[in-house]
Amino acid sequence: MAGSIEEVKKAKKLFMFIGLLLFFFTIVTVMVASVEWLDFGGHGFDAVDATIGLAIATFKASLVMLIFMHLNHERPLIYLFFGLGLLMAFFCMWLIGWSKSDPIQFGNPNSSDGFYNPDKPSTESHH
Amino acid sequence: MEIPFIVNARKDTGLFNSKVGIWLFLASEVTLFGGLFSGYLFLRLYADYPWPERALPVLPGLINTFVLIGSSVTVVFAWAALKMREWRKFQIYMAITLLCAALFMVLKGIEYNAKFHHQAVQIEGPGPVQGKGIIEGHVHYAEIKDGKLTEVKDKDRYHDEGVFPANRILIKASELTFVLKRPTHEAYVKEILKQAGDDYKITLAKDYRVPDEDELHEGGKNRVQLLASGKALVADAGSELSIDLLEEMEDSFLEARSHDKDIRTDFLAASWDWIRDEKGDDDLSTYVVEKDIWKERRKEDAKKFGPLMLSAPGEVTFKVDPPLILVMKPGDIPQFSKEQVKFRDDTVVKGEVLPSPIIMGVDAIDFRHTAMRAEAEGIEPMKAIEVSWILTHTDSHGGNDLKKAWNCHMAWLKYQTERLEKEGRVPSDNDKYRVNWDEMVAYQKLDLDPEAVYKAAGEDALYHSSLFDLKGFAGANHNEFDFPHVEIPRENVGFESTLTPKWNTYYAIYFTITGLHGLHVIGGALVLGYYLFFGRKMYDSNPEWLANRVEVGGLFWHFVDLVWIFLFPILYLM
Repeated sequence: MAGSIEEVKKAKKLFMFIGLLLFFFTIVTVMVASVEWLDFGGHGFDAVDATIGLAIATFKASLVMLIFMHLNHERPLIYLFFGLGLLMAFFCMWLIGWSKSDPIQFGNPNSSDGFYNPDKPSTESHH
Repeated sequence: MEIPFIVNARKDTGLFNSKVGIWLFLASEVTLFGGLFSGYLFLRLYADYPWPERALPVLPGLINTFVLIGSSVTVVFAWAALKMREWRKFQIYMAITLLCAALFMVLKGIEYNAKFHHQAVQIEGPGPVQGKGIIEGHVHYAEIKDGKLTEVKDKDRYHDEGVFPANRILIKASELTFVLKRPTHEAYVKEILKQAGDDYKITLAKDYRVPDEDELHEGGKNRVQLLASGKALVADAGSELSIDLLEEMEDSFLEARSHDKDIRTDFLAASWDWIRDEKGDDDLSTYVVEKDIWKERRKEDAKKFGPLMLSAPGEVTFKVDPPLILVMKPGDIPQFSKEQVKFRDDTVVKGEVLPSPIIMGVDAIDFRHTAMRAEAEGIEPMKAIEVSWILTHTDSHGGNDLKKAWNCHMAWLKYQTERLEKEGRVPSDNDKYRVNWDEMVAYQKLDLDPEAVYKAAGEDALYHSSLFDLKGFAGANHNEFDFPHVEIPRENVGFESTLTPKWNTYYAIYFTITGLHGLHVIGGALVLGYYLFFGRKMYDSNPEWLANRVEVGGLFWHFVDLVWIFLFPILYLM
């Protein structure tokens, strides 16, 4: 972390640059969502747009963490704390994603729309 | 006492203590918001309705993103100013940070306010599938004229006395029955008395009497005599409805009920002892459940404890003279028929439910759910849509502006399909089955003429709300634009709500996450404001001390920015 006055002065320039970079990528995100020639994948919002949007957001978040929150040169203890928090957050999200591959299905796929309906138990065996 | 390691680092951690503290806190915050983002993911992946995509106005969200990024820069500049011992600059940067926080909250307030006033109605009516379409817009205002709901056209009169939003349920009440075991009537009674004013009399239909406990236990009097006693009188017939009167009757009822419960419990305990003596503990449950011997015993018990019970009436009825037209919020009335309504506190209002349509200006029509259900059931979506009440009803002027708007949309969709086909692409479900507010404005501007819409689409001359269109800053602007007018009969209202957590899980998670994030902004601003306004003493004592504090507060502020960096694309753009 910046300690001496010279280092702090130098860091200020970096902070300003990162701020501008964050502004720029925010505009890129909005353009990807609203400008037609930047609409990748199918027409309208789809998984490709979601991937691009989240990738840009992750990049922006990384800049904030590394530069503004000084995680580019921190003590190991901080990485441990923050890493555990992130691990827990990703674990929660992984659980949700994992539940998508749950083999148990609700409803009879031949006679219902597949949404949960306790009155229509599935007649097919699950794999 | 001096707190150690607030300026210099500890040797074992290499950090000053407050930094260790803030990072532990931030780790727990990451987990908290991680859980909420997981909740969002769960709700979106498993939604049984078309998830609202790009449903929020982008410009306020975009400005807020710039504001938070800007404040992240200024807060780190404030810290740098302290490191360079520039108090004045610190003050300026910190003040800008606080202004950014205030601006963020103002914009959030504008956005929330727009949602709180935006009505959505799920339509009921004919159709082969469950979803019959959704109408969104702004509720107009109405009053009661000659005993009927009448729309108030003059916007200047919207806040006049007796004028109310035209989504209320009207009942001509002649009788009110309160359930005394639900002592939660106060809000309703206040509302009823307010609406009744001095022109209506709401009086107890008959005496409310509860046998006096002492007289009962003295014996010698039958129930009729006990009830006739002066001590039994709680409230006279003809007493005017008031919160105090109702509370008095509720207290008597609850006391009597408690007394009766004690007696029943005593008899039950005695019967348990008896059967245990008779049969022992083995197989006792079988006796109690199946054997006639237990049932006979309980019948005998009932004969014995019946006369010992106070048996206070659980309901009281009030007459309304002359019948009063009550104007009630739909959320207050979970059940209603033609002759009566039931409030959420189980109070029954008898009389006549008057025609209570929802009158609104429509800025969006959404058939995506209809299409989704139709496709799931193997029905052509457009066939299910065509028979919806939205497109088949006739309004009081003999027309149907929503049908005309939909026809315009079909004309636009024809153009859009042709255009996209050339690029090898197809229209999205949003294109096909939803008319957005700016499309509605575009069609209105062309007098709801489909041919004109098709032509204008080809010439790229249709009105379209651009990102920087301030008229649509917070969404559909009903002061600026005209929207089709509709009166939805109450029987065609399946479910209605403003765009709040009640409407769907999208708004539930949107308000939960952004609300919690907003609280973080307020909390962070309070801490940073403290350093700005009360930090001088700390600075004079040891500038490095304040610099460390600001660094810690700044770390929290960056985290708030970090969360928003994900929230903005997820909630506003996806």
